[in-house]
Amino acid sequence: MAGVVTAAPATATGPAAIPQGPGAGSVPWLLLMPATAALVLLFVLPIGYVLLLSFTDPQVSLAHYQRIFAVPLYTRILFNTFATSLTVTVICLLLAYPLAYVISRRNDWISLVLLICVAVCFWTGFIVRTYAWLVILGNKGPVAAVWQGLGLGAPPQLLFTSFASTLGMTHILLPYMVLALYSVMKKIDPNLLRAAASLGARPNAAFRAVFLPLSLPGVVNGSILVFTICLGFFVTPILLGTPKDMMISQLVNQQIEELLAWGFASAIAVVLLIATSIVLAIYNRFVGLDRLWG
Amino acid sequence: MKTSGKSGQNRRQVLKLGGGLVAAAGIGPLIVTERTIAQTRTIYVNTWGGSWTAAEEAAFFKPFTEATGIRVRTVAPVSYAKLKAQVQTGSYEWDITAINQAEWLRAEREGLVEPIDWTVVKKDALFPNAVFANGIAYCALGTNLVYRKDKFPNGGPKSWADFWDVKKFPGTRSLYNNSLRTVIFALLADGVPKDKLYPLDVDRALRKLTEIKPHIKVWWTQGNQSQQLIRDGEVDMMAMWNARASELAGQGVPVELVWNGATVSTTMWGVAKGAPNRKAAWEFIQFAVQAKPQADFSNRLYYGPTNPEAFKHIKPEVAKQLPTYEENYKQIAPSNIEWEAANLASIQERFSQWLAS
Repeated sequence: MAGVVTAAPATATGPAAIPQGPGAGSVPWLLLMPATAALVLLFVLPIGYVLLLSFTDPQVSLAHYQRIFAVPLYTRILFNTFATSLTVTVICLLLAYPLAYVISRRNDWISLVLLICVAVCFWTGFIVRTYAWLVILGNKGPVAAVWQGLGLGAPPQLLFTSFASTLGMTHILLPYMVLALYSVMKKIDPNLLRAAASLGARPNAAFRAVFLPLSLPGVVNGSILVFTICLGFFVTPILLGTPKDMMISQLVNQQIEELLAWGFASAIAVVLLIATSIVLAIYNRFVGLDRLWG
Repeated sequence: MKTSGKSGQNRRQVLKLGGGLVAAAGIGPLIVTERTIAQTRTIYVNTWGGSWTAAEEAAFFKPFTEATGIRVRTVAPVSYAKLKAQVQTGSYEWDITAINQAEWLRAEREGLVEPIDWTVVKKDALFPNAVFANGIAYCALGTNLVYRKDKFPNGGPKSWADFWDVKKFPGTRSLYNNSLRTVIFALLADGVPKDKLYPLDVDRALRKLTEIKPHIKVWWTQGNQSQQLIRDGEVDMMAMWNARASELAGQGVPVELVWNGATVSTTMWGVAKGAPNRKAAWEFIQFAVQAKPQADFSNRLYYGPTNPEAFKHIKPEVAKQLPTYEENYKQIAPSNIEWEAANLASIQERFSQWLAS
């Protein structure tokens, strides 16, 4: 019941406003109410609560923030989280761009098959894909078998390394990048490239001057998507990587689940939120977030 | 019966919604649910899911419902954090949980634990040392040195000192990414006697761990993962939960468990502070810790019974694989729960720091 009562004041002013309104002006406001209420209840209030906890649990102090910056472990994990996310984003972009280009420019069975492969990958659960890497890179997996088959001696340790962890995360996030790029590239009018050619541009120049700038919204969109999802990665680095690759979500989980240290966990989350905002602000300064919408 | 259960469920959902909103506003502790929820005859138990829940279903839930008519619903997975969230918001998803002793002690100190209802629980129906921090001992899980017999035909490691001896026992190794257990194993390997471990000398342990660190192929975090590692031969020896190792042995994987220097952690049954079905919950817990249900559970999953009488009903070939079996128990390194509960946070921080460097 508390839920209904709490929500009531937010909508109470709505119906009363209609007859008094000078006309259409109040209707859009009314239509915005459900979305605004949902955002406030599900997003603004919880984040506010996290912020509050970080200063007040177990007592009012700045101690949690001091600890984050005083203990080398925590700054290290924070730095590692951003460095890993950046690496994965760049690799994803380099791999996905040519793939998306081929899929969007061709109109035959090859593009269809490639698109289906990406989609199937996208729909397969990431835990399943993570465990698949355990098998592929493992002692008895195909990589080790090929290595030994070629007479190269004992296979190198692939599993439980930063390499395996980065590979797994890249694999899981690659479809996001491909689909983000594809959706933008597909809308680029092929006539524009023909027009460039008719004006004397060689294919390379036409690509650089026409196609690449028009595909940038996809690059921006895909990069932000991959980067932000990667910041919160949890299971994959645990299963494939080493403790050195600890990501911030593992730390938050440890504090909440094992130590019941909600105040400290909240402070870590707030620092992550602020750091992410700073990264996005820098990105906006140099690339422009408005490109997101073309 | 049916209708009352259903309305109880609806009320639960309404309260959950209300509780969630109130929690979001940050005034969680003010909500009062005690009088608003009647004692429905269904209890909600927090459980791990999978084979753990299946074993609980057969050993505890089904016989309990048959004996009392009280239905048992399960909620997975076990979450220590949810115990705190439930008590703070006054919105309950489950009444009963089962977590280890040190966690239970810390929860009790934070006021998250319902005191034992001695009008329901009968003291003379309990075994010695059953009660601790308002919880009742459920089962015991060992963390053992486990190795593959096929990799060591001339005899495998017999102690943590052997685990550290990479010359005498070459092979790939794995340890449990758990600060307390690992610190204890390192101290034992460094020659600290089992009964002189506490207070744990973390500096000494980390120095000893630095010796073995290059030889640890993986620091595992999840039970399934530990089984995969030794079953697939990724590692030759490791620290592993006894129940998981015995399960593999039962499937024909050639693993051997070492009891010398193993640690044993006791899981406690307990009730969340203010849980709506607490009377029925205590009735259930009293039922579950009796000899017969405990034995049924141990026969299925290789967790040790806490009730000594249970051994009368456990198959002999299973009994000798359990942590509370006398032969095994006298070889383990006993824990100091009070000390662990007080020092866990700082040990965790130092261990994580060491691991990441």
